[in-house]
Amino acid sequence: MTTNVALMPAVDTPPESNRSRVDASLGMALFIGSWAMAFATMFLAFLVLRQRQEVWPPQGVALPSFAMAALATVVLLASSVTMHRAVVLGARGERGFARWWSATLALALGFAAIQSWLWVDLWGNGRLPHSGVYESTFYGLTWFHALHVAVGLIALIVGLIGIARTRYGAQHMNVPRNIGVFWHFVDVVWVVLFVTFFVF
Amino acid sequence: MSHDGIHPEPTSFLRKHVFSVDHKVIAKQFMWFGLVWLLIGGLMAMMIRWQLANPGEPFPVLGKLLWPHTEGVISPDVYNMLFSMHGTIMIFLGLTPLLIGAWGNYCIPLMIGARDMIFPTLNMLSFWTVVAGGAVGFYSLFVPLGALEAGWTGYPPLSSTVGTQGSGETLWAVAVFLIGASSIMGGINYITTIVRLRAPGMTWGRMPLTVWGLFFTAVLNVLFLPVIGSAMLLLILDRVFGTQFYVAATFSSGGGGDPILYQHLFWIFGHPEVYILILPAWGIVGDLLSFYARKPAFGYRVTVGAMFAVTVLSALVYGHHMFTTGLSAMLGESFMLLTMIISVPGEILFFNWLHTIWKGSLRMTTAMCFSLGVIFVFGLGGLTGLYLATISTDIFLHDTYFVVGHFHLTMAASALFGAFAGLYHWMPKMFGRFLDERLGLLHFWTTIVPLTIVFCTMFVSGYAGMPRRYADPTSAPYVAELQGLNTITSIAAFILGAAQLLFAYNFIKSRWWGKKCTEDNPWQVGTLEWTIPSPAPHYNFKEIPTVVTGPHEFSHPALGPDRDWISQTEPLPGTSPEPSSPAAPGAPVTA
Repeated sequence: MTTNVALMPAVDTPPESNRSRVDASLGMALFIGSWAMAFATMFLAFLVLRQRQEVWPPQGVALPSFAMAALATVVLLASSVTMHRAVVLGARGERGFARWWSATLALALGFAAIQSWLWVDLWGNGRLPHSGVYESTFYGLTWFHALHVAVGLIALIVGLIGIARTRYGAQHMNVPRNIGVFWHFVDVVWVVLFVTFFVF
Repeated sequence: MSHDGIHPEPTSFLRKHVFSVDHKVIAKQFMWFGLVWLLIGGLMAMMIRWQLANPGEPFPVLGKLLWPHTEGVISPDVYNMLFSMHGTIMIFLGLTPLLIGAWGNYCIPLMIGARDMIFPTLNMLSFWTVVAGGAVGFYSLFVPLGALEAGWTGYPPLSSTVGTQGSGETLWAVAVFLIGASSIMGGINYITTIVRLRAPGMTWGRMPLTVWGLFFTAVLNVLFLPVIGSAMLLLILDRVFGTQFYVAATFSSGGGGDPILYQHLFWIFGHPEVYILILPAWGIVGDLLSFYARKPAFGYRVTVGAMFAVTVLSALVYGHHMFTTGLSAMLGESFMLLTMIISVPGEILFFNWLHTIWKGSLRMTTAMCFSLGVIFVFGLGGLTGLYLATISTDIFLHDTYFVVGHFHLTMAASALFGAFAGLYHWMPKMFGRFLDERLGLLHFWTTIVPLTIVFCTMFVSGYAGMPRRYADPTSAPYVAELQGLNTITSIAAFILGAAQLLFAYNFIKSRWWGKKCTEDNPWQVGTLEWTIPSPAPHYNFKEIPTVVTGPHEFSHPALGPDRDWISQTEPLPGTSPEPSSPAAPGAPVTA
């Protein structure tokens, strides 16, 4: 294991034990399970309402751009890859930690921009939340997901500050690792949303 | 993240008493919070009963202050708000903080031999989130056009903007969302703490039943509170942004949503919620019956298994709340069957409790009386549940006072009695002072007798056709004939309400001026919280204890004639002490 001394924490906090790593991961896993139930509820509502509609998606009106949604999916999946890379390098105490983490943050911001474009585009075409079931579910689900993206963005920024101040590193990975877990979860939810909303 | 939940003792007042991360302080905060809300919700119950006994008469004393424009008379819309908010307050702000917040926080670390919860800051956040939820709920009582009027279940279209204008209903949804978030944080903390922080030797099979009950509750909280959270978000979207999730497809509304969807989402959460409230009470009762009967808990493993079975089944039966919605016959019958199956583990629990006290040397303390009370009221509630689980009878009993009597006995009275039993039992450990036992027994009898009358007369009036949520029961001729029964119910309810003031007096008096508890173990029981001084010191355990015995080893023949109990840290005489655990104190132990 190559440990970069320059990236070791300057502060005198003791290294995290394997035990505290399991504690934190278990807590995070339970949080993710709970969030998954919240999203499952949203998807249940969406799928029930959708199968009631005779025509889906609605015909003869502007729809959210499939191409842009697909691009958003690619960007988000890429951010999951960079996040994974960052956490692996961070645990090894290597320099790439901060770089890959920043790349994740950049991709996350890119996703937020595309998502905003999707909303503005649809809104500009006169399709508002109260226009119909399609719009209700589209805005409802994407807003709820975007809320989690926003939380993820804040966590990514907080994580980056911590990395810059060498608060996180090879011996202090609990927080970055769990931010990573949360970010992967946000990605998975988007993929489900993309598949159920745009593909089928 | 704390290291094994250890943190230094705070010195400032704010850190010590307000923004504390100590599980014992948070437990007390939850307890006071829950008790105050029980008082508010109870007052609303009194107003409801007043209206049902004397429709159109001004409510004494408070009425003129609260509703000057009607000279103290409870108008139909105020009546709607009263029963809606009574339910919400009692469930989410009264019983949940008291049973799960207070006893969960207090008992789990102390009973498993830990110094604190595993995530103390999350624990504090959980309390302050429920305070925020309570504040929003309280504020919603005073907004223009008033609070929630759609019943505690908040069904659309009653709860949509078509049914209720104004912000009261929206604020209710926000409050429920916040309270749900608080319960999720608590649940995650409880599960992780129980899995990770058990003292050496505290195997799963040596955990007190109280901890088991709280553990299952925490699992249900983590899984099903997010469902109501999402359902509330969709309701808020419908009300604020005009989305159509719950707006039925009609020509005039132009919607394509479905109000029945809300009922599904609500009850997917709502039925587990019943068990979220009752499981901690079952756990407490399972322990206390054994403690005060001086006998081991009969069938400990089977009791735990039965509680586990109920936890699983609770997620599979919600459709029995919706038999009258036009549910498909096959689904309805499946839900009916699954609901009936719950009575099997339910019976097992009952038999185990009865066997626990069978031929025991009962010590009839107030805590014991309330534990026996749980058996009694839950028995009544459980038996009447069979009529509601059966489609053919439920169709007729749906939305009558039969249902009101049933769920008050099961989830309200049983949960409340469990909480009271816990209060009388753990008070010395919490505050170092006993609750007055004489007043306590008086409180018990003046509670259980009127309570039984209140809810059993409801069975009769409900069976005779008295519907729920009627502001004026004399307005329909066939219901007006039941006015005698309603009056009996109300008189009993007022006695019940007055008896709780007795408790409030006892609690306040005993908290500050009650008999001091100088011993570590006044009840002579074996669980870990009684091995440390009363009240429990800041760090709970000087050294993390090593557990070698089960929680209920009472009257074991090996103990001899002088002593009938043994602490969980002592080996039974004559048995070879267990090989000392190689793990360091505080290290995890796997069963």
